[in-house]
Amino acid sequence: MRRCLAAILGLGVLLLPACTRRATRPGAGTGEVVAYVSEDQVFSQPVLERFERETGIRVRAVYDTEETKSTGVMNRLLAEKDNPQADLYWANEPIRAEVLRQRGVAEPYRSPAAEGLPETFRDPEWHWTGFSARLRVLVVHTPLKGEPPASVMDLADPRWRGRVVLANPLFGTTTSHVAALFVALGDEGARSFLERLKANGVVLSTSNGESADQVAAGQATLSLVDSDDAINRIRRGDALQMIVPDQAPGGLGCFVVPNAVVLVRGGPHPEAARRLADFLLSPQTERQLAEADCAQIPLHAGVPVPPDVPSLATLSVMEVSWAEVAAKMMAIQPELQAWVGS
Amino acid sequence: MALRRIVLSLAVVLLLVAGVLPVAVMAGRSLVVDGRLGLAAYHGLLASSRQWELLGNSLRLAGLVTVAAVALGVPAGLLLGRTDLPGRRALGTLLALPLLLPPSVTAVAWMGAAAPSGPVVRLLGAGASAVLSSFLFGLPGTVLVLATAFAPLVMLLVAAALRSVPPRMEEAGLLVARWPAVLLRVTLPLVAPGVLLAAALVFLMALGEVSVPPTLRYPVFAVESLTRFAAFYDLAAATAAAMPLVALTAAVLGAEALLVRRTRGTTGMESRGAGRALVVPLGRWRRPAAVAAWSLAGLLVGLPLAVLLVRAGGAASYAEALGRAGDALGRSLLLAALGGALLAVVGFLLAVLAWERHGRLWAVPDAVALFLFAVPAAVLGVGLIVTWNRPWANVVYATPLILLLGYLGHFTAVSLRLSRASLELVPAGLVEAARVAGVGWGRRLLWVVAPGAWRGIAAAGLAGAAFCLRDVGMTLLVHPPGWDTLPVRIMTLAANGAPSLIAALSVILVAATLVPVVLLGAVLGRREVLP
Repeated sequence: MRRCLAAILGLGVLLLPACTRRATRPGAGTGEVVAYVSEDQVFSQPVLERFERETGIRVRAVYDTEETKSTGVMNRLLAEKDNPQADLYWANEPIRAEVLRQRGVAEPYRSPAAEGLPETFRDPEWHWTGFSARLRVLVVHTPLKGEPPASVMDLADPRWRGRVVLANPLFGTTTSHVAALFVALGDEGARSFLERLKANGVVLSTSNGESADQVAAGQATLSLVDSDDAINRIRRGDALQMIVPDQAPGGLGCFVVPNAVVLVRGGPHPEAARRLADFLLSPQTERQLAEADCAQIPLHAGVPVPPDVPSLATLSVMEVSWAEVAAKMMAIQPELQAWVGS
Repeated sequence: MALRRIVLSLAVVLLLVAGVLPVAVMAGRSLVVDGRLGLAAYHGLLASSRQWELLGNSLRLAGLVTVAAVALGVPAGLLLGRTDLPGRRALGTLLALPLLLPPSVTAVAWMGAAAPSGPVVRLLGAGASAVLSSFLFGLPGTVLVLATAFAPLVMLLVAAALRSVPPRMEEAGLLVARWPAVLLRVTLPLVAPGVLLAAALVFLMALGEVSVPPTLRYPVFAVESLTRFAAFYDLAAATAAAMPLVALTAAVLGAEALLVRRTRGTTGMESRGAGRALVVPLGRWRRPAAVAAWSLAGLLVGLPLAVLLVRAGGAASYAEALGRAGDALGRSLLLAALGGALLAVVGFLLAVLAWERHGRLWAVPDAVALFLFAVPAAVLGVGLIVTWNRPWANVVYATPLILLLGYLGHFTAVSLRLSRASLELVPAGLVEAARVAGVGWGRRLLWVVAPGAWRGIAAAGLAGAAFCLRDVGMTLLVHPPGWDTLPVRIMTLAANGAPSLIAALSVILVAATLVPVVLLGAVLGRREVLP
């Protein structure tokens, strides 16, 4: 018993320094930065580890999961607004970064590494800055019989009735995409599309990754996912074909979703956070993310990419106002919830 | 006696702060929207038909999982706790393993079995993949995974209850009938309260499970309500969405307590009186029973583990897994050790409170701990954030203390019950002799009671450590930056991570979990300690 008590006390003593070292806020001091990350850990962790190696600054990260986006880092950032624990948020799409700006969580920062990045992929006041993008693409099960779909609107084509799977539009990039459609098509146009989609027997999944898996397995024929979900599975030999939608002249254009860096207002390590932001926005990081299995598209010009990674220069891109899409995303949540629940 | 009051009160206060406070603060928070008191956050909670449909799905799932877990767990508990089945200790360890693993790991393993490139499909032919997938993805697969995960709880509680059955009653039965009839008419009715408690816990654990249903694509209330309401980034609505689960937990445990009160029998926490527990000789059924039990264990536990091993592949996968998550493994083990030690101490003190029947409310901590064990982990996690996310509380919220508090709130029932059962084995005469000799309460506890119940306390710590090690739902929500555990790391790497990496990580988690499980088996294998 005495040995048990000694062991317990010993363990307590072991933990004590870890607890007291950060008695006020995590990572107090300049050698650490706290990052909340929505980009998949399997792709983002190697980037953060390279940052640690090159700068000697330790990154303490909280990552999102596929299934628990509801209670993910975005909610955590909002919950911690008055008691910020994070220094930087690596968002995997810019709409929620824009929501953070609107909610007063984001701190403006004009990174020198952002020179040369297209203005369309950042907040005009530098509350967030985009880098390495993904496309919203169609995936079809292969071999496909007949004419392949060419537009996002084809998801509502009766030709695919009962064979379409879509990630829950209350979460992730699917929400952003639906909000962008509301902006691009107008409320009535988007509502009509959603109703036709519902009438077409669309099946909802928990994530884009699951949608791609269902199409690869032949459980569905067609879906709308992120390009990294598609390329990742094509590279490992799954039965999928990726189609960049709406490329016809005068069409909607493809919805492009960059990652976004946000500095958290009042974060405990602002200097280290700025260094991490500079690092993430650099061409080297864009190259690393292009070469990884997420196959993301660099926004800096001249960054070499593998042959299966599309180039923005050759694509017709959907033009959107991010602030407008973010406001629309919040406005249509009840409507989307009703659509999901109906 | 002041020392007794202070120490036992401290244990009670710790339980209240760790578990009750977060749930209470969360309930209160859901009633305040934009600074005004009201039920606005609850409007629309069950307004759509979809919500009712999901609630129906949840109840259907929980009901089926309970039936399956009881059907598997009661015979297993009888075989392991009362018969001379060969190899029952090893079998018990193997069967208990799924309870101590995150159910999502079991789900990943079964998904590997059904995958087109998986070993099972390669063995059975390409056509098997579609059949297995159609079974696995949906209600049947979710029931299979959760029943496998929770049946060991029934098995352990039935085995514990069996050890508390007074031998004289069975001996009396054996005077007029054979063992099958005695088991059916004497033993089983006596352990009915234990079965009822196990069934209630399994029902509630299945109801609040949020990792397996989305993985196996079966929509349930716990997942959908929390995720859909949280999509608004509105904590009040999110907490309101969790409250039906809290209410259901209280209702089911209340009903269970009422039923137990009307039943004469044991939940495994009472003294069985004089005499050793009787052993049922299986006779000529010994070998067939062993073959059947081992085959079932092989199918439900061995097969998924084998699939994980095959999918993980060679050393390269393990090297990558350790490179990716070695730090998380270290943290998991440290937190499990600390959590287990904390649970052992607090569980023991609360068990002493109940054992000594100290004060008027001696039974309350046990009921509260049981309630907190059954409350979904995600609910407790949200409650901890709401309670401790304040600048003055950063010493808790921004450090691993938040995890230890959560473990204490969630898993005290496990350590309390194991300690309580072992206290029944402490010779009352010895304690009384020490008291008469003038030994104070503190010294009696330290030098008489604790040594007498040390195996139970050690078992409580090891079981507590295993539960801390497996936790995902709460740890995922509240872990401080840089303090994610291995089960959480598996969840976050699962997003677009290679199947071989996830399988290798799962195998490492199984191996880590085996450490406390094997130690637990060694401690509990002694005849004089309850399973």
